[in-house]
Amino acid sequence: MPEGASRRVVVTGLGAVSSLGTGARAFTEAIREGRSGVSPIRSFDATGFPHTFAGEVHDFEPGRILRRLRTGQWGRSSLFAASAARLAVTDAGVDPGLLSAARAGSAMGTTLGESTVVEALTGQWVREGMKQLDPALVRQAPASRIAVAVNAELALTGEAHTVATACSASNYTLGYAYDMVRTGEADFMIGGGADSVNRWEHAGFYRLGALAESVCRPFDTRRSGILTAEGGVALFLEPLESAVARGARIYAEMLGYGVNCDAKHPVAPDPTSIAECIRAAHHNAGVRPEDVDYICAHGTGTPTNDATEVSAVREVFGDRLPPISSIKSMIGHTMGAASGFGALICCMALYDGFLPPTANVTEIDPALGPGVDCVPGRGRPASPRIAQNHGFAFGGNNAITILGRAA
Amino acid sequence: MTTTTTLAPLVITGCGVVSPAGVGLEALADMVNGTVNGTVNGTVNGIEGGHQPGEAELEAIGGEFPPVPLAATPDFRAEEHLEGKGVRSLDRTTRLALVASALALSGLGTPLADRDRARTGVVMGTSTGSVRSSSEFSRETLVREKPYLVRANHFPPSVMNFCASQIAIRNSLRGVNATIADGRISGLAAVRYARNAIAQGHVDRALVGAVEELCPQSAWGWYLSDALARDAAVGEGAAVFVVETPEGAAASGRTPLAELLACEVGTMGMSGLRRGMAVCVGRALERSGVSAESITTVSLGATGLRGLRAAEEDGVRAALGGLPPHRIRTADVMGESFSASGSLQIAALLAAWRPRDGAVGPVALVTSVGDDGNVGCLVVRRAAS
Repeated sequence: MPEGASRRVVVTGLGAVSSLGTGARAFTEAIREGRSGVSPIRSFDATGFPHTFAGEVHDFEPGRILRRLRTGQWGRSSLFAASAARLAVTDAGVDPGLLSAARAGSAMGTTLGESTVVEALTGQWVREGMKQLDPALVRQAPASRIAVAVNAELALTGEAHTVATACSASNYTLGYAYDMVRTGEADFMIGGGADSVNRWEHAGFYRLGALAESVCRPFDTRRSGILTAEGGVALFLEPLESAVARGARIYAEMLGYGVNCDAKHPVAPDPTSIAECIRAAHHNAGVRPEDVDYICAHGTGTPTNDATEVSAVREVFGDRLPPISSIKSMIGHTMGAASGFGALICCMALYDGFLPPTANVTEIDPALGPGVDCVPGRGRPASPRIAQNHGFAFGGNNAITILGRAA
Repeated sequence: MTTTTTLAPLVITGCGVVSPAGVGLEALADMVNGTVNGTVNGTVNGIEGGHQPGEAELEAIGGEFPPVPLAATPDFRAEEHLEGKGVRSLDRTTRLALVASALALSGLGTPLADRDRARTGVVMGTSTGSVRSSSEFSRETLVREKPYLVRANHFPPSVMNFCASQIAIRNSLRGVNATIADGRISGLAAVRYARNAIAQGHVDRALVGAVEELCPQSAWGWYLSDALARDAAVGEGAAVFVVETPEGAAASGRTPLAELLACEVGTMGMSGLRRGMAVCVGRALERSGVSAESITTVSLGATGLRGLRAAEEDGVRAALGGLPPHRIRTADVMGESFSASGSLQIAALLAAWRPRDGAVGPVALVTSVGDDGNVGCLVVRRAAS
């Protein structure tokens, strides 16, 4: 039996730094319209790569968002994380002094950590040798700085975990944050994630044959893979009681989560294991398959992911599949932030009343079987009550969060 | 508003450790029990017996190292401890952690049944994954004729969760699989993460630990950052524990080696590490339901680091009213092992408790502090014999 007190946990603040804009509202409007955040790569010299598109955040100005951090001392992923967290806390309207005095912390997900810092150091190594590594850059390299940046920016004294479970990492952090608030270990928690576009990841996915040329088309017959992307996302979690007491806007209630591991293959996903993860999430959240109105898919845009994910969903839902869409079709694969962006759009879908679309779909792949409604094109007005948010990763790391409309 | 109730203890029923003391807890016990001291001034920095690698070993590790003392696992051959293919091609981080995991599992009185493995998780602390794997992969994109002519099978190891997922894959462990990158406090943060996963019923038990490999990239980083105390070595190691509930252990006939009481971590040291450390220790004691007077041993982490060493010891002193009589300074034996340090400190404590007539008292603190403001404190109790 789970131990500890059990409190209801709600999401009252959302922060996004994305290729589709800064702030949850701007991000959500772009998603509802089915707009694309993909563009030619600028953050590194993509000369020589056959594919040169990514979901980069071109207009990121951390100095305009952050109040405490000195931007020159932190890597790009840390700045994404801290900026998203600052936006989420501002959005929540919670008193910053109250936060600093409370038992408040963060858990932030990432796939490649401060990859652009590691890459800059690697460049110094190649050009000048390791003796010439810049000590200031060395200090920025540890991945731990991503969550530490959040706590430093917000003057939080609680735990600061950087959870590096690759592309399901944000869901891992949200699950942990939910448990901390639910059991009374923490008063407030921030969950989310951050990653930066970089050369090594672009090369890696290309060599795996998983990189699309310029368009990401999950569920479509013509899909050809993922697009690498970046950004930061944060969700502010607090007990329902405290949210009601301070008259906060409640986007959604977090109902539970499930996590497991395929334990089979470093990169090939396993539908049976994913189905077990869905069941674990349902059990933890106290919902049944027929309660779920929408699935925010992992939906990377590779044929393997589509086949595996739809097959896993069928194992649990039978032939009555809820609408299932992929926002990666618009922002690309933001890696450790991806399931955080998924959770954010689930909150907005529950709060505003719509289903997020899958862009770039012209023909739903018939091989996926009947009844796949991927909400093609633009967002659809609807009134979902319960949303299921998928995050899968290299190493068979699956994590699924369940969010419900605020009662 | 937050709870301050006393936590139910978890137990360690298996321990695997690979360090510059050698492979296994026995090797560590020999070394630690030679250095545990009861006096305030009994410690020097640097290696007191931990293995300084020779030229041949450094060549096997590969790359050019800076002129600092180094500490490496002596004569480390993972393939002698692991079944299955492809061990030699894995990076050192993964090999160290896999061997520690294998030792932790093989030492269990009652091995895990298949159905147990489906309900067993992995929680590993790491700094930045294998920084060697990621920077070498990154290097390929710069030195090849075309930037994409990298080796595809070298990509997954450049991702930080590779090690934890390999532990799961090679041992069929299908529960939560978390990689906790919390810098120097990673080993303690992993314990805290695992406690929640077990207490909330996500898994029945977990392999919990942390790892750090010796490589030129991190050694140069330490050398250039000037953070190491004079004569302190750059080290490495991995320690992995089987952690479960006392009820689970009893039902399976597994004997506890130690009880894990509260584990408190946080960035409360950002405005002052000493005070932050003291607050953290105070909270851990309160959550554990043990008094400051009952603490007779502390396993310290920041021994080899400028500034941090004094902050850690002062913080413990402030919380307890003085340093406990027994101090274990793991870094003296194994060098500074960054993200692995917390787990190696726990292992060193188990090693110190190994002689049944040993002098080290039954309730101990394991403390950790990072220059990022992170502090951590775990309370551990020797299992009743």
